[in-house]
This record gives sequence, C-alpha cells and structure tokens, in this order.
Amino acid sequence: MARVTRREFMRFSGTVVAGASLATMLDARQAPAQIRGTTLRMLKWSHFVPAYDQWFDKFAQEWGEKNGVRVLVDHIPHLELPARYAAEFAAGAGHDLIYFVGQILTGHYYRNLVDMTDVAGRLAKKYGGWMPSATSAAQVGGTWYGIPDFFIAIPILWRKDLFDQHGLAAPDTWEKFRTAARTLKPTGHPTGIQFSHCNDANHNWRAVLYCFGAREADPSGREVLLDSKETREALRFAKALYEEGMTPEVFSWDDAADNRYLASGVACCIHDAISAYRTTEDTNPEVFRNTFVLPEAAGPGGERRNVGEPNVWAIWKFSKNVAAAKEFVEYVGDHQKEAMTASRGYNLPFLQGQYQKPMPVIGTDPKLHTLQDIGKITSFFGYPGPMSPPAQEVLTSFIIPDMFTRVARGQDIEATVGWGMGEIRRIYAKHQAG
Amino acid sequence: MGEVSAGGKGERPAALAIGVPTARVAPRWWRSIAVRRFVFGYSLLTPAVLYVGLLVGVPFLFSLYLALSDASVGAPVARFVGIDNLLAAVESSTFRVALRNSLVFTLGAGIAKSILGTTLAFLLMQRFRGRKVVRALLVMPFTIPIAVSALGWKWMLDSQFSVINWALGRLHLIGAYGTDGWPVWLGQPALALASVMFVNVWRSFPFGAIVLMAGLTSVPPEVIDAAKVDGANFLQRLRQVIVPMIAPILLVGGLFDTVFTLSDISIVYLLTNGGPNGATEILPTLAYRVGIQAGALGRGAAISLFLFPLLLPAMVLLLRNLRRREW
Repeated sequence: MARVTRREFMRFSGTVVAGASLATMLDARQAPAQIRGTTLRMLKWSHFVPAYDQWFDKFAQEWGEKNGVRVLVDHIPHLELPARYAAEFAAGAGHDLIYFVGQILTGHYYRNLVDMTDVAGRLAKKYGGWMPSATSAAQVGGTWYGIPDFFIAIPILWRKDLFDQHGLAAPDTWEKFRTAARTLKPTGHPTGIQFSHCNDANHNWRAVLYCFGAREADPSGREVLLDSKETREALRFAKALYEEGMTPEVFSWDDAADNRYLASGVACCIHDAISAYRTTEDTNPEVFRNTFVLPEAAGPGGERRNVGEPNVWAIWKFSKNVAAAKEFVEYVGDHQKEAMTASRGYNLPFLQGQYQKPMPVIGTDPKLHTLQDIGKITSFFGYPGPMSPPAQEVLTSFIIPDMFTRVARGQDIEATVGWGMGEIRRIYAKHQAG
Repeated sequence: MGEVSAGGKGERPAALAIGVPTARVAPRWWRSIAVRRFVFGYSLLTPAVLYVGLLVGVPFLFSLYLALSDASVGAPVARFVGIDNLLAAVESSTFRVALRNSLVFTLGAGIAKSILGTTLAFLLMQRFRGRKVVRALLVMPFTIPIAVSALGWKWMLDSQFSVINWALGRLHLIGAYGTDGWPVWLGQPALALASVMFVNVWRSFPFGAIVLMAGLTSVPPEVIDAAKVDGANFLQRLRQVIVPMIAPILLVGGLFDTVFTLSDISIVYLLTNGGPNGATEILPTLAYRVGIQAGALGRGAAISLFLFPLLLPAMVLLLRNLRRREW
C-alpha cells in the first residue's frame, strides 16, 4: 500500500471537504443575505384548481420564513391581469414579481422587465434544458425576460364505454374523433368544442389547424402563413364535425361549458384541459370511471400538435426587490414536482428534465399517464412563430375561432379565409409599422 | 401744504385732525361688491371645475393623445400618428360590426327602457296594498352588483341548464334539448344580442321608472285635475301637460341612460365576451380587448373615442333643450 504523506492527506481531505460543502450549498441553494428583512410582493392569477393556490401561498410563506423575506401574494382572475399590468406599468409601481397567463405580454413589456437569463440558465443546467417552445413565451431577441413556470395541456377526453358500445376506436386521429361524434350524436351523445369567444376556443381550433399542418406565422413571427391549403382543410373538417357531431349550443359556450357537458354525461368526447376530468371525478364518478385521456388527435398527415396555455414569471425593472424575486422564481423551478401534485396534475413543466417518468400524479394515474409525453407535441399560439404582440392581438381578437364559427354557420370557406387573413394581416402590419 | 391752526400747549393740533385736506380714497375696484360677488361665486365653483377638469377633462385629453399616437402598454414614449388609428379602426370589419351593435344595443335598449320605465312609473303611482314592498323589489336589479346579476343571467341563459328553457319546455313552447327547437340564448347571433339587451333593460329600467316617478310627483294634482275637467284624456294629459312639465327630468334621465348604455361593458363582457362571431361585440368591449388585452393602447383609445361623436350631438341637443326651457 502506497504511503500517503501528511501534506497529501491534508490536501486531499481539504479538497473533499470543500467540494462537499460547495455541493451541499449548491444543492440547498441559500438565498443571498441581502434579501433578509425585505418584502416580496407578487401577483398571480386565481388558479383553476383552488387547492393549488392554497398550496402555493403556503409554499411562498415558507420560503419567506426560511429566507427572512416577508412575502405577499395577490391572486386575481387571469382575464384581469393585463389591465392590472397596464396600470402598474403606467404608475411605475406595483408588484415585484408578476405573472403572465395565456396572454403572454413579454413582447410588449420586455424593455421594462428584468433580464432573467441567469435564472433561466441555472434552471436549464439543472433540469436538462428548456422545451423548445419555452423560448417563445419568455425570450425576446435571445434574452430571457421571463421564466416559464408551467403550461396547461388541452388533451382529448373521451368516454370509453360509449365508444366500446359502438365498436369505435379511440379518437387518436381527428378523423376517428369525427366518426365517433357522427355515430354517437344520434344516440344523445354528441361532441362539443367551443365556437365562441373564450380561451378554449382559441386553443382548440388552433390545435386542429396545427394538426392539419397549417401554420400561423413563420418562425420569425413576421410573416402570416395561415392562407394555406391546410387551413382550408381544417375549416372544412370543422364544418363537417359541427354538422355531424355537435349541437348549436357550442356557439354559446364558455371555458367551463365543456367541463359540464362531460360531467353531465352527455358528451362522448371533448378537447379540454384536465379540469374537465377533475370536475367529472368530483361530480359524476360513473362517467369519470369511463373517461379516458389522449394527448392529442393526429391530423391527416399524422401530425399531433397540442396547443397549451403558458404561465410565465416576470419582474418589473421598477421592482424594489429584484434579488428576492429571482431567488423565489428559481426556488419555484426547483419544486415543480410539488406544484404538479398540488395542482392534481394540471401544471406541466417547461423543463425537459422534469419529464422523468413516472411524473407526479399523471405518471401514477393509468388514464393520464399518456400525458407524460405531451411536452414533445406542445406548442403555443403564433406557432411556429413566437408569442409576439401581433400574435397576442390575433389571439385576444378571437379571429381564428371566428373563422371556424363562420364556416360552421355556413359561410363560404374562401370568403372566410379572405376575411380572417384581412384582419390578421392588418394587425401584423400595424405592429410592424409601429 | 395744509394750514396749521394756532393752539395752546397740550392742545391737540386741530389742523392735523381736520385741517389737512386729505384726498378722498376711492374704494379699491377689487373690493367692490360686484367683484367680491364674482370672486365668491367662482371660488365656490372652483372645486367642481377642478373635479371635472381632473377627473373628466384630463383623462379625455389623455385618451385623445393616445388615440393619435402609436402608444402601446409597454412603451412609455409614443409617436404621433395622426388619424392612422381611427382609419385602422374603420378599415376593420370587426369594428364596423361593433359600431352597428353599439347603436342597436343603445337604441333598442333605450326604447325598451322608456316604455317599461314609463309604464312602471305610472303603475307605482297608483295606490295599492304593498306598494312600498313592490317599489323596493323593483329597484333591486339596479342595486345588485352587476357582476352578480350578470352571472345569474348567464346561468339562466345557459345552453344546457337554462331555467328559462326548462320552464318553456314544460309548457311545450320549445323543442327538446339538443334539437333545433331548443333556443341557445347566447349562441344564436340575434338571440345573443337580444339577450344582452334584455339584461341591460332588466337592470336599468327601474332607474328610469324612479326618475319618472320623481318627476310625476312634482306635477301639481290641481293641474292634472284642471286638464281632466277640460276633458283631456290620459294620452292628451300625458303629452300636453305632464311631459312638458317634467321634460327637464326626462331629458337628464335620458342623457344619463344613453351614456350608461353606450359605455356598458360589463354585461356583454360577462355574458358573451362579444361572441359568437362578434354578434354581441360593442365598442367598449372591442376597445378593451384591443387596448388593454392586446396592448395596443393607441388603437384601443381610438375605438373608444368613436363613442364621443355619437354622444356629443345627443348631449348638445339635450342640454340646449334644457336651457331653452329654463328661460
């Protein structure tokens, strides 16, 4: 056995101790002392799963106690957030940490948001990098002005018992979805997708468009690509799906109507977030037992593209506590598993390493486990372009759902595409001129 | 120099008191009664002027500035773009539909409220048992927070669980659920617009009735009696006696209602959000969507300013009419 000198022993053991200490510090990541005694005010939406908000508030308070930071969390309905941000920006005062939900305003406010590239880099390093679509929500010109928190997937929920009774295959393609709706509508079980002015209509019809191969804008986000054969095919399909498999009530639906439709036992299948699954679980156990979930249906070319609802953290430049805000956002990124559990599988992470199977909740529920791969097919509005200000305006103007509504109501497809393209091009032109 | 009169030691020099001819001091002009009344009057008026100027004038000028600029929610500095935003609004078919809907909504609801409000006011003027209770119940729609009442109506007009459809179905007046005979109140374009108008009318017409009742109680009964003695029937009394006497109250009430209806965003926002396919889109919802949710403040302000030329002529006409009656 080779002799070890005292000097060598000291050097070796010193290196080991220092390395272990550093590893421990990095693992337990202590917040910097400068944030002690400060206050962190944050603004969030009221989550669709109330239990998640309760968990989050406690989680934030515990982080605050651990780091000596007084944490104040405000929750308001998500549709009111844009007005609140406009007011805070105009006043140059407000919350330290803000949150974009669905309506992603990073492109509007980035000049007034803190560069969070350091946080994004550390999280990416720890968790195997970001999903490619994450950059669309949080980056402008290659700089991270926000940190994606989670997204909400909008999968297909279908009644296996009804499908089995009529020998129908699982709706893993839009054609099978249509066949099922056509077959089951006469039995009192139509399908339903919103043809109205609500969030779900925006997501659902974009999913159909993208699955049919249509694209909203080019990757730079400057050129509108919707005037295509694929868009027309998607519109034609939607018209047939409505006529064969839906009833006119879909023109009046809000975001929760399809949840009720499934939970009431009427719907044969819907395209919605798993809130519908949870609502059914809580209110109609019999229907819930027979409700199954598929990540997305494939279009005629085999493409599956789910359109999610993104959630993004951001920090105002006028924030009085940037350091604490950054620390907290990173801490949240480190605890996505707990967040998934608290949200009953509703929240899905943007970090690729957090998709290790089995994932919390959805990995242990045999009917939801297929959602563990949904990150690979998830995109967002504006796809494949970024969630830019013009894409945001097209979203909030409900032009795409209105195009589908017009066609479903019997308007000519060419005239509808002409109308939609006119409105969309006008919006893009205004933003590019500005 | 004044004359000094002789006087003994210790005597008060009389000349100082009376001998020096002093120039008669004219009252300062700003101390005149007319000026003091003028200043007093304006000092009483100043708080109101400041209030209106700061809370109405400044926001209006600011929205005018926004409408003529390319302001967006995230850009502190905006460029002057002239009337580009107004032209962009007019070019959009969504805007034209919203403008049409705003006019239909305001006029339709206004007419309905006039008829119902007048009828209700005359009914409530009658003496009957429980009149006070009925009066209290009728003003409830106006006193309930609009978000609560709109959500209540959203449920009552729901496509699947509508209590109205349930009742109509029981009476065999509509088809079964899921058939074409089942009304989808918020999903069929004409029905959706009628529904949001109905909720606006339901909420506001008691206010019109109260305004009218206030006017009716100010009409001396002997005037009405005299008209009756002269042989005037109800419509003649209404047209030639009552309406001219309460015209100022009616005009102010009408003005308020027009402004409130034209700028009412809550009912449409909560019931249909402008859908389906823009069937219930009105200028306030469109302005909010473009200006705040999409962040294009300049274009949003331009859309909302289209309300101004619609309201201005109505206001000028009404106020001129009021002034003429004062003299």
